[in-house]
Amino acid sequence: MRIAPLSRRELLRRTACGFGLLSLPRLLQGSSPLSPREPHFAPRAKRIIFLFMHGGPSQVDTFDPKPLLQRDHGKPLPFKTPAAFARGRIGGLLKSPWQFKQFGQSGIPVSELFPHLSTCVDQLCIVRSMVGDSVAHGGAIMQLHTGSNVFVRPSMGAWMVYGLGTENQSLPAFITLKPSMGHGGAKNWGTAFLPAVYQGTPIGHGGSNLEELIKAPLENLRNATLTNEQQRYELDFLEKVNRQAAAERQYDSDLDARLRTFELAFRMQTEAPEAFSLAGESTVTQKLYGLDREETREFGWQCLMARRLVERGVRFVQCSHTYRPGNEVGWDAHSDLQKLHTKTAAMVDLPIAGLLKDLRARGLLEDTVVLWGGEFGRTPVTEGANGRDHSPYGYTMWMAGGGVKAGFVFGATDDYGYHAVENRVHLHDLHATLLHLMGFDHERLTYPYGGRNFRLTDVAGRVVREVIA
Amino acid sequence: MLTTSRALAFLLVMAPACAEEFFEKQVRPLFASRCAGCHGGKKPMAGLDFSTTEGLRQASGLFSEPSRLIAVLGYEDRVKMPPTGKLPAAELDTLRVWISRGAPLPPAPPQASESGPRRNHWAFQPVAKVEPPPVRRSAWVRSPIDAFILAKLESHRLSPAAPAGKLTLLRRVTYDLTGLPPSLAEIEAFTLDSSPEAYEKVVDRLLASPRYGERWGRHWLDVARYAESTGADEDRVYPFAWRYRDYVVEAFNRDLPYDQFVREQIAGDLLPPPAGEAIHTRGIVATGFLALGPKLLAEVDRTKMLYDVVDEQIDTMSRAFLGLSIACARCHDHKFDPITTRDYYSLASILVSTRQFQRLEGGAAQLLYVPLVDEEIAQKWRRHALREQHLKQESELFIQRENARFLMAHQARVADYMLATRDPERAASLDPSILKKWVAYLNSGKDSRPYLAEWYRDPSPGTAAAYQKRFTDQALSWQAGIERWASEVEEARKNEEEAPMRPRIPAGPDRFFPDVALAGAGPLGIPEKERPQRFAPEPMARYQAAQAELKALEKTRPPEPPLACGVREGKAVTQHVFIRGNPANPGEEVPKRLPAILAGERQAEIRAGSGRRELAEFMGSPANPLTARVMVNRIWQGHFGTGLVATASNFGSMGEKPSHPELLNYLAAELVRRGWSVKAMHRLMVLSNTYQMSSLATPAQQAVDPAGRHYSRFPRRRLAAEEVRDSLLAVSGTIDFSTEGSHDDVREAIPVFMQEKRLGQDPDKSRRRTLYVPLRRSNVPAFLTLFDFGDASTTGDGRGESTIAPQALYLMNSPFLTGRASELAKSLLPLTPKGRVERAYLLIAGRPPSTREIDAALGYVAAFPDVADLTGWTSLCRALFASNLFLYVM
Repeated sequence: MRIAPLSRRELLRRTACGFGLLSLPRLLQGSSPLSPREPHFAPRAKRIIFLFMHGGPSQVDTFDPKPLLQRDHGKPLPFKTPAAFARGRIGGLLKSPWQFKQFGQSGIPVSELFPHLSTCVDQLCIVRSMVGDSVAHGGAIMQLHTGSNVFVRPSMGAWMVYGLGTENQSLPAFITLKPSMGHGGAKNWGTAFLPAVYQGTPIGHGGSNLEELIKAPLENLRNATLTNEQQRYELDFLEKVNRQAAAERQYDSDLDARLRTFELAFRMQTEAPEAFSLAGESTVTQKLYGLDREETREFGWQCLMARRLVERGVRFVQCSHTYRPGNEVGWDAHSDLQKLHTKTAAMVDLPIAGLLKDLRARGLLEDTVVLWGGEFGRTPVTEGANGRDHSPYGYTMWMAGGGVKAGFVFGATDDYGYHAVENRVHLHDLHATLLHLMGFDHERLTYPYGGRNFRLTDVAGRVVREVIA
Repeated sequence: MLTTSRALAFLLVMAPACAEEFFEKQVRPLFASRCAGCHGGKKPMAGLDFSTTEGLRQASGLFSEPSRLIAVLGYEDRVKMPPTGKLPAAELDTLRVWISRGAPLPPAPPQASESGPRRNHWAFQPVAKVEPPPVRRSAWVRSPIDAFILAKLESHRLSPAAPAGKLTLLRRVTYDLTGLPPSLAEIEAFTLDSSPEAYEKVVDRLLASPRYGERWGRHWLDVARYAESTGADEDRVYPFAWRYRDYVVEAFNRDLPYDQFVREQIAGDLLPPPAGEAIHTRGIVATGFLALGPKLLAEVDRTKMLYDVVDEQIDTMSRAFLGLSIACARCHDHKFDPITTRDYYSLASILVSTRQFQRLEGGAAQLLYVPLVDEEIAQKWRRHALREQHLKQESELFIQRENARFLMAHQARVADYMLATRDPERAASLDPSILKKWVAYLNSGKDSRPYLAEWYRDPSPGTAAAYQKRFTDQALSWQAGIERWASEVEEARKNEEEAPMRPRIPAGPDRFFPDVALAGAGPLGIPEKERPQRFAPEPMARYQAAQAELKALEKTRPPEPPLACGVREGKAVTQHVFIRGNPANPGEEVPKRLPAILAGERQAEIRAGSGRRELAEFMGSPANPLTARVMVNRIWQGHFGTGLVATASNFGSMGEKPSHPELLNYLAAELVRRGWSVKAMHRLMVLSNTYQMSSLATPAQQAVDPAGRHYSRFPRRRLAAEEVRDSLLAVSGTIDFSTEGSHDDVREAIPVFMQEKRLGQDPDKSRRRTLYVPLRRSNVPAFLTLFDFGDASTTGDGRGESTIAPQALYLMNSPFLTGRASELAKSLLPLTPKGRVERAYLLIAGRPPSTREIDAALGYVAAFPDVADLTGWTSLCRALFASNLFLYVM
């Protein structure tokens, strides 16, 4: 018994059912927890790319120039130092080693660290007044990803997929590329109490070898012992076994659903590798993302994959710049700020600019939110001789595309860049805003668990309407 | 499609619009800032108090539409408020919205004398004795359970499903009680046993099997959010978590009375030891229930961090044992259940008076390991280990301090040495042996030292001076780092704590300083053999004495006692309510006591110790109606898929109501009456006719009872993640049934003395039951997550059963599954082709194949080049593993 080839429409109809989640109410039977759904109101964006700068880039060295910091270099901070992570190693003001210049029509200043990204500044909506609650990586990263810096909660990608489903059933709805396994690991793309189908699918991890990952991005996508033909033959037999066994169970649509997952999986085997393939990308495009250069190849690959995945309907893609303890590279510049930020920025600058240009050229930027930032910023004062400590009190993140104002700066820190003092945007507010862009009222996107309705923003959050175009 | 997606959108939208949050966030602050200045305090003006919820409640007449309040604030009334000027339009709008929603206020806190509906909530009522109801079809009633189920079915004009087939029942009960498929011998024995007691004998055999505790222990481990690392920020390994896991398995296997099981997990360390034992080993291990939660270890605010740990414990404990979410009351009185912040902080005071960490302060808090030996022996071992540890750190400290002293003595000559390597005339006042090293250093390995490029380009005095300045700066910061560490070591010695290892001290912007100063071969490095001549005599002597003592200590080192991850008594703390959950904002003092709704208002304050003992007594007592109810419901859920209360960890007013309240009462009473025996409950349930029904639904059942909530048939279920993997191993004959003890990976991770090591992850490399696979919170094995294992960080109230394509990919392609299919195929090859098919079906589906199935299978394999070939049979086995015959229990 051979299954006739399915038309695309037919496939979509059937595969949607194939994802049936048994625990959903009968009301929804026949639908899938992952089939696309309408949000609360017309969305500005359909998908999100989050460029996660693990370790925490320094705001005063990137997007938040502080003339007084330059002037008062070496002097003590003129106000009380807030709680620091590196207690006892905190010194006086440390000027930025980099020059800022204005760019684009908007004239927004960007430091020399980002020679490529600065050419895209007219696309950016820069929030200089981000605020979080944790001074240590663990709590800060959890809060950035899940809203809570203490408790295990669903990640923002999981909430998005829970709310919206996905447009492509052949690919995971939420993908995180080379995520770090430290500082919460899987919790940062987990579902906590949401159904497991909404979890993120990690592609490798921070330490994976890139070239091997390019060859085999997803697990169990190939049976090394079978040809395609042999597997088709095996699946046809499996279907026969299942149909014989189910003959008397005509009311059991769940068993039917199980059967269809195999057809879907068989398709995924072809479609998923295609989504991750570099074969279709021209040399020019690969160059645009910096795949031809050693220092940019890794993050460039992530950015290019992000574009390919959102193009195919993946709802939430996260790229992570890998944090490596031991101070060889990474944003976490407790010492050697100049060396580390120079090296690290050079790894992501060109790829991010490439991504923004490519998304724009393909018309994807208008309904894709690109979010950039770390789990916190860094202190304007020194740690040790030449480093900066963690600082969640006022730092910069930026968004682009997806309905946010372009070439716009929002919020401000104090004269030295320590505390957000104007238009403070807490991480809860960022989450509320992202949900809003995706068409959700953050107070109404809830999930009942343990006797109450939970949401991404807990009991807080304000939609920052000022940044929405 | 359209209608269903709309339906879901509707579900998303109709979630309650958090009226109280709106009040707390937007309305209350407005009243507080605009009105309460006058309308508040001891003598509120006009008798209107806008500063408290109760005051607002009394003023509620003002808020009913058309609202007088809006008129007054809008300056449309005779009275115009506030007198200082009209409110901004946005604030008026906020109040309009609030009033249009009916001006909701938070519910009044429950009073001691409260007799409102919440106190009358069914779950808080005492467990009453219930008689099984009369039924028409009494012949069907084998167990009292059947009467309750049948009565409800009859009231819906439904009849129970036919009995399940014999082999279906055998497979069902075997998976249910052991998580494994029946073996060939068990199938044969049961088929041949035609006695009326055949099934009962099977049940008794299964309950006596050690595999039973592994299956039902795992159910409990879900509830206990068991895992072997701290998760959160540091994800440190709990090296002795497995003892708690083994304790749980053992408790189920030996049928430890459930009340005792509860008491031990809360305060096992405080219970009287069993006769003839000096300490309550089992009880100490049992407190792993409290100790093994996810926790942050490196937050800056340690007080808050501790209260977060306690909060997690209150949450897990109250959901697990009581089916209540008491943790909701951390910031405010519980919105839906009669639990106050006073109740919460009374419980918190018990847990903060409990010792949770070895050391809370420091870089990352240190986990507490409790020795499972006499206090005296433990102390001796601990002191010895500490002394060794201190000596090691102090020896290292002597060396580093001397190194630093040496560097400080030579830092001013760095330029001289550099110049002297090129100009021998400058060597006069320099140490020739050091100069020799400088020459070697500067003349070799140029390529690997890019930071010397400047020197090679321009070896002038100016350049040398610049290098020297860099060196001096770094040497100073290095020395400061060493001195900071020295003071930490000293502090630890005084406090009898483990001394910190040498911290990572930044060594500068490039390798110049470390290459010159820290490498033994560097020009200013001091290799071990040069120490006697370079070091000052007095520290050198102390260093040597320390080394000698260390050697001696190593020889007399007592063996490490067995350790457990548990808790012990701590310093009793006087606890206050923290306003809005903030430890920096203490309110009224609370006594140590139990939640009033359960233990009454008139309980005595606990004065001695932490109060854990009293808490444990109360939790494990029939006076508390929830403990027994919650547990029998969990057991029911284990057998029937869904609990009588579908929200197994929430019996509060926001939880589901019981589908069969009388049956729940009956079972709770039975659990107590039968000495809290869990196995007695299993027998009661699985021997009932309700359990032995077929899982096939008739059209009538499908119409009236589509979700099976009336139990008109047995609910078919999918295998859990562990059952999938364990069955693959069992059926292929390669399972390793070794029980207890740590997994190899964990055993390696066990510290010499509180060291850390990452847990290995790959379950594919192990042949032990999945229960024993190491579980790291930040990286739960993908296979487990794929089959709805859950989170291992929050207390579980039942697994999901998703049906998704990535599961199909696993079944089609996973090398682990193919490996087991191939092993099974190999074991079949000695049989005839027909015999192979029969055995494969018996092992995988628990029944022999039909003639049609045999023909289909033989036809399938025939297409492969050679019938004797392994490929075809492996493929057949893989297809059967992927089939519903294997994945579902009917």
